[in-house]
Amino acid sequence: MTAVASSIPPEWYLLLATAVFCIGLFGVLTRRDALYFLMSVELMMNAANINFVAFALYYGDLTGQVFALFVIALAAAEVAIGIGIILVLYRNFGVTDVTVPTEMRW
Amino acid sequence: MIDVFSYVPAIVLLPFFSFLIALGVGKHLPKGGAFGGIAATAGSFLLSLWVLATVAGGEAANRTLYTWADAGGIGPTDIELSFGILVDPLSALMLVIVTLVALLVHVFSLGYMNDEGETGLPRYYAGLGLFTASMLGFVVADNLLMAFMFFELVGLCSYLLIGFHFREPGPPSAAKKAFLVTRFGDYFFLVGVVAVLATFGTAQFAGAESFPVLAEAALAGEGSVAWTPGGVELQTWLTVVGLLVLGGVVGKSAQFPLHTWLPDAMEGPTPVSALIHAATMVAAGVYLVARMYGFYALTPTTLAVIAFIGGFTALFAATMGLVKDELKQVLAYSTISQYGYMMLALGAGGYVAAVFHLTTHAFFKALLFLGAGAVIIAMHHNEDMWDMGGLKSKMPVTYYTFLAGSLALAGIFPFAGFWSKDEILYEALVHGLNDPLLLGGYLMGLLAVPVTAFYTFRMVFLTFHGEPRTDTARDPEPVRWNVKGPLTVLGVLAAVTGFINMVPVQKVLGLEGIDLLHLWLDNHWGGIEGLSSHHYADIGPYSSGYLVGGEVGTVLVGAAVSLGLALAGLLVAWRLYNVPSPTEHTAKLGGIKDVLYNNYYLDELQVWLAYRTEDVAGGANTFDQGIIDGVVNGVSSVSLFGGSRIRRLQSGVVSQYATLLTLGLVALLLALGVTGGWFL
Repeated sequence: MTAVASSIPPEWYLLLATAVFCIGLFGVLTRRDALYFLMSVELMMNAANINFVAFALYYGDLTGQVFALFVIALAAAEVAIGIGIILVLYRNFGVTDVTVPTEMRW
Repeated sequence: MIDVFSYVPAIVLLPFFSFLIALGVGKHLPKGGAFGGIAATAGSFLLSLWVLATVAGGEAANRTLYTWADAGGIGPTDIELSFGILVDPLSALMLVIVTLVALLVHVFSLGYMNDEGETGLPRYYAGLGLFTASMLGFVVADNLLMAFMFFELVGLCSYLLIGFHFREPGPPSAAKKAFLVTRFGDYFFLVGVVAVLATFGTAQFAGAESFPVLAEAALAGEGSVAWTPGGVELQTWLTVVGLLVLGGVVGKSAQFPLHTWLPDAMEGPTPVSALIHAATMVAAGVYLVARMYGFYALTPTTLAVIAFIGGFTALFAATMGLVKDELKQVLAYSTISQYGYMMLALGAGGYVAAVFHLTTHAFFKALLFLGAGAVIIAMHHNEDMWDMGGLKSKMPVTYYTFLAGSLALAGIFPFAGFWSKDEILYEALVHGLNDPLLLGGYLMGLLAVPVTAFYTFRMVFLTFHGEPRTDTARDPEPVRWNVKGPLTVLGVLAAVTGFINMVPVQKVLGLEGIDLLHLWLDNHWGGIEGLSSHHYADIGPYSSGYLVGGEVGTVLVGAAVSLGLALAGLLVAWRLYNVPSPTEHTAKLGGIKDVLYNNYYLDELQVWLAYRTEDVAGGANTFDQGIIDGVVNGVSSVSLFGGSRIRRLQSGVVSQYATLLTLGLVALLLALGVTGGWFL
């Protein structure tokens, strides 16, 4: 752990995480393409990761870092499933626009 | 040791299965499912005999089998609603009667329905099966609510069977009448059941926590009941409850003034009439009073009402039977009259006498109805007695069995009816000497004796004696074994059943132990504590008075008077109708004949009453449809409207969902922030 990292006050980390989260949220709310969705969700999860790591550093506790690793693994799995869904979406509708499929079954 | 009481539910379920089989696959079975019914009732009959033998061996059962609702701790009292069985000498005896009569009726139906080429037989046998099952369930019921449920099922089955020939105009209307009139009585019964549950917190018939025991303890000041309405005195309230339950009894047992459905119920097939009158529907009412007699014995007012209604009905119905032209109509009025006797006995404290008459009546009335059925087969479904005559030589088996039943009905020594009717009158007399109201009941019962004998033998002479009056009577259709068999069995029973309880002989000769039914119902061979005739006599309000000569003298005088009156009635009928070509003598009665023939215009009165109360019913209907249903419909339309609006949120567009989620989160954060004071 470097002196630089520990000398930065935790508020900065939180501000960074909030900014990243809001960028991700903005993407989810404004984009219509499912791929953008995936990327935006990835951003939001990484915002949470930043929080975890920041507080782990702040308290000197490794639990947060371990949790961040779990979230990364989870994100990988989620992307695998998400891309699978997008492929099926594309096969059935010919587009990846999430506003086109509006029914669970047809 | 096999526990026979665990098979008691099977007694009820066997006929129920025959109902399901007849209903489901009856049309693919030979004889329309008749054999299923016969096998089921035979099985039930054998099981009932086994139960009877076990009870005679000193065992009894009072078990809860299944609790379907438990309000433990919710209300002021711990109410449990359950199904169970109560097998004691009374219900064991009744089980045997019901299953035997049902079995014989099933066999007879082969001759009456199958051989006559009726259609819709699966429906008929399904109805018979369900009817028998309902009655058996009612008989073994261990609590009032269960009894009420099966009571209602019995009513439903009577509706289905009376209206069996639903394509003709008469039967559906008679079925509706039977259903509605008995339902009118059952309404009071239902209120009574609720009152019993609210008052005692239990509806059990037997055991330390049963409502007759609790009522007895509360009246003796040794306990209290859970609830009485608004500080009414306990004795008064128990009388009210007793009278409410009695409403159902009056309806089902066709007592005045709710007897009007029963003569119309003759529209049903004759075997069904036999079942209704002998073993099921009509017997249910009297059986219910006997079942909860420990409760009724506590309220003298109720007993007096029962006795008076019974005595009045006995005489009233007998007079109407005098002038009827149709065979089954005469029998219908005799049934009402005979159940009047049973009610008189119950009201007069003659618990054993009532059960005795219920037993003998079950056999001789089933016999008379099946005999009438045989005559109706022979006469090609003509029931008018004036078209018969001279059938004696053509159908001897029917004649002699019918004669045995008639002698029993008229109360001629030594046939079954003599013993039971004599005991009823004796009980009413000895208890009535100290009670004017009861004495009135006794006198009416006594007056009904010659009337009964007269109309019974008028029927016999018109049907079987004299010269045949029509071509059909000259050449009647022969009947087969399936008609003669049940008649023979019942004919023997009608002749000998009286010997199970020869109380007069015992009292006069001083022989001990020949009043078997008395000992049986007095838990002599074992039974359930608190359900014995001695107990009922102890808590009952009556004391005995005797005429000249003490007990023996009273027995002899009573028996001689009733037998003499019965013989007098018989002789009058003999003089008037046992001639080659009898003529109608009813015209001599003048205006009275019209009154009797039209049943005292009671039907007209009830219709008139119905029209007078039309506005009330209309108002209630408007209230029901407008206010009650209106509230329910209003609530549902609010839900519907709200649902249709909120449904628009679910557009299926994922982005909108995400927006809503975000907005919700922001709103939540703001709310938490404002209440948590983050922004200050």
